Amino acid sequence: MAAVTLTNVVKRFGTFEVVHGANIAIADGEFVVFVGPSGCGKSTLLRMIAGLEDISGGEIAIGGKLVNDVEAADRGIAMVFQSYALYPHMTVEQNLSFGLRMNGNPKADTDRRVKRAAGILCIEELMQRRPKQLSGGQRQRVAIGRAIVREPQVFLFDEPLSNLDAELRVQMRVEISRLHKELGVTMIYVTHDQTEAMTLADRIVVLKAGNVEQIGAPLDLYDDPANRFVAGFIGSPKMNFLKANVVEQDQRSVTVELANHGGAKLKKPLCEALPAVGTEVVLGVRPEHFFEVGEGDCDIPVKADVAEHLGSVSYVYANAGAEELVVEREAARQRASGDHFTVSIKAERSLLFDKTGARIR
Amino acid sequence: MRYRNATAYRFLTPYLLIFAIFWIWPIISSFLISFQATRTLPWRFAPAFNWGRLIGDPAFFNALKNTLLILVIQVPVMISLAVVMAVLLNSPLLKARGLYRFAFFAPVVVGEVAYSAVFRLMFSLDFGIINKLLNSVGLEKIDWFSNVTPAMALIMIAVTWRWAGYNAIIILAGLQSIPEDVYEAATLDRVSKVKQFFHITLPLLKPVIVFCAVLSIIGTMQLFTEPFLITERGGPGGGTETLGLLLYRQGFRSLNFGYASAIAYTMAGLAIAITLVQLWLMREPK
Ligand SMILES: Nc1ncnc2c1ncn2[C@@H]1O[C@H](COP(=O)(O)OP(=O)(O)OP(=O)(O)O)[C@@H](O)[C@H]1O
Ligand SMILES: [Mg+2]
Repeated sequence: MAAVTLTNVVKRFGTFEVVHGANIAIADGEFVVFVGPSGCGKSTLLRMIAGLEDISGGEIAIGGKLVNDVEAADRGIAMVFQSYALYPHMTVEQNLSFGLRMNGNPKADTDRRVKRAAGILCIEELMQRRPKQLSGGQRQRVAIGRAIVREPQVFLFDEPLSNLDAELRVQMRVEISRLHKELGVTMIYVTHDQTEAMTLADRIVVLKAGNVEQIGAPLDLYDDPANRFVAGFIGSPKMNFLKANVVEQDQRSVTVELANHGGAKLKKPLCEALPAVGTEVVLGVRPEHFFEVGEGDCDIPVKADVAEHLGSVSYVYANAGAEELVVEREAARQRASGDHFTVSIKAERSLLFDKTGARIR
Repeated sequence: MRYRNATAYRFLTPYLLIFAIFWIWPIISSFLISFQATRTLPWRFAPAFNWGRLIGDPAFFNALKNTLLILVIQVPVMISLAVVMAVLLNSPLLKARGLYRFAFFAPVVVGEVAYSAVFRLMFSLDFGIINKLLNSVGLEKIDWFSNVTPAMALIMIAVTWRWAGYNAIIILAGLQSIPEDVYEAATLDRVSKVKQFFHITLPLLKPVIVFCAVLSIIGTMQLFTEPFLITERGGPGGGTETLGLLLYRQGFRSLNFGYASAIAYTMAGLAIAITLVQLWLMREPK
């Protein structure tokens, strides 16, 4: 069991800086997910924690011990790779026991640990097979099993499910969640899939271009994102961003006019410094936060371009020309392309951002 | 479908004809010739004439012994060396990688005669740089060309020099196909670099190494250039005569085509047998 602390961690490849001073504190036993778009530095951060990549600046501590100069094998971590990285010429059993055998671990203890890992992951029948005789999901289990056998204090996962099909991904996700409960150890999990992040994490770290944008519990990020990037990244489909201008200001609220929606106005109460009249702002509304006419504080007419019916919900893509909106509707099965309808926005179900993307609260 | 196949074969006919005339026919023909007495005209069918002679011919057994000796020592040494060279070439610490890759490959490109001449010079008794080097570290000069053991060693050194780099390049390709993350996983498993080499790299390179070994065995079975040019036709006194040289001597010098064919078939048969044994020894465990 161990906490993991990153203090001002910097990573440079040559002169090219890819992580710009990350500060992340992960509690003992916590499940933390690093999420962000491709190339933002998630894997690099994880590999620095693992000790596979050296640290250009700052400090990483595991279990209260500074590990900057500690060998990867001595950090008490185990890593599951995206490509599984199984030893192709060994059976599953040999894959699981390889590390222990190479280090002269007593045979009885090795057998016990391998048996236990195989039991946890239900791979007992596969023990004599080689990786190429396994399906993707089975390989992933073996890779996780190899991590379990090490009995690490911290598990690291680098996009472990990205090579699996959708159904298997959901199944393995549940299993990883169960594993976390069962083992109770710290887990750090990298993904670019926000659904995986939302469902697995105790806390999510949102990264963008080598910077930590926000750290928080999944629903906190959903309800209260720190900026436009996080707001757009968390939630699916993506939040809608509507161009707006501040046209009125009173004590505790501003009124904004939606530039592309026929001058519809919304009065938005705020609790911090109010933007001045005339400021350009952006109003963020999630697809699922458009209400029926009259239910909200501001009605806007839209014209459907494409409607996707998924059964339980429908997504209507509207107003392609001026400002594309995605509207989620539970009862919109009859909506078709070309339909005109009106949706309503609630002040408390919308978010305001300034031009730089920072949140206006 | 039939018709389309027929068209394809019609296009292939010119090639197949040439293949039949210059490949298939000589193979069959030499097999038939090996059963004929060809020392005097007219040739006549006499199966025991060549094959019988082969079994009792001291020159044949001398050549066979020399060929196998070179094979048994030179091939393993060269393949091991090639693996080491490939690993060094693959090291991220290495600078000017392209230059080394070229240098390793260069011996194959150099003309055989030029290379043999250089080797004769380097190993010459009084002027050769090798003997000078031996002298300078306080060792006796070696007469590489007049004694059997040094002459055999010289052949092996020359063949190894010429082909080790070539094999190293093939093995390098195999090395580069091993994914990096397998080694990272092993590093996290606290497996040392040396153990990684023996427990991961070597087993995964096995198919490539077997391929190189088979190529080398076939090549060494036919060894000709080095004993012909460097030790002057298998000298001293037949001490480095190989099956390839014996074949040449019988076929081209004595014009005894029947016996030469029998020797050629023996060489091919041995190469196939050794290769099969090796493939069987190195087979994938079930
Ligand atoms: N060895 C390297 N040398 C130079 N640059 C590198 C190296 N490894 C990664 N980078 C760069 O660092 C940045 C972050 O890479 P990283 O692999 O951490 O991204 P990621 O967030 O894991 O992306 P993905 O979701 O695609 O896996 C990228 O811009 C990448 O080009
Ligand atoms: Mg990555």
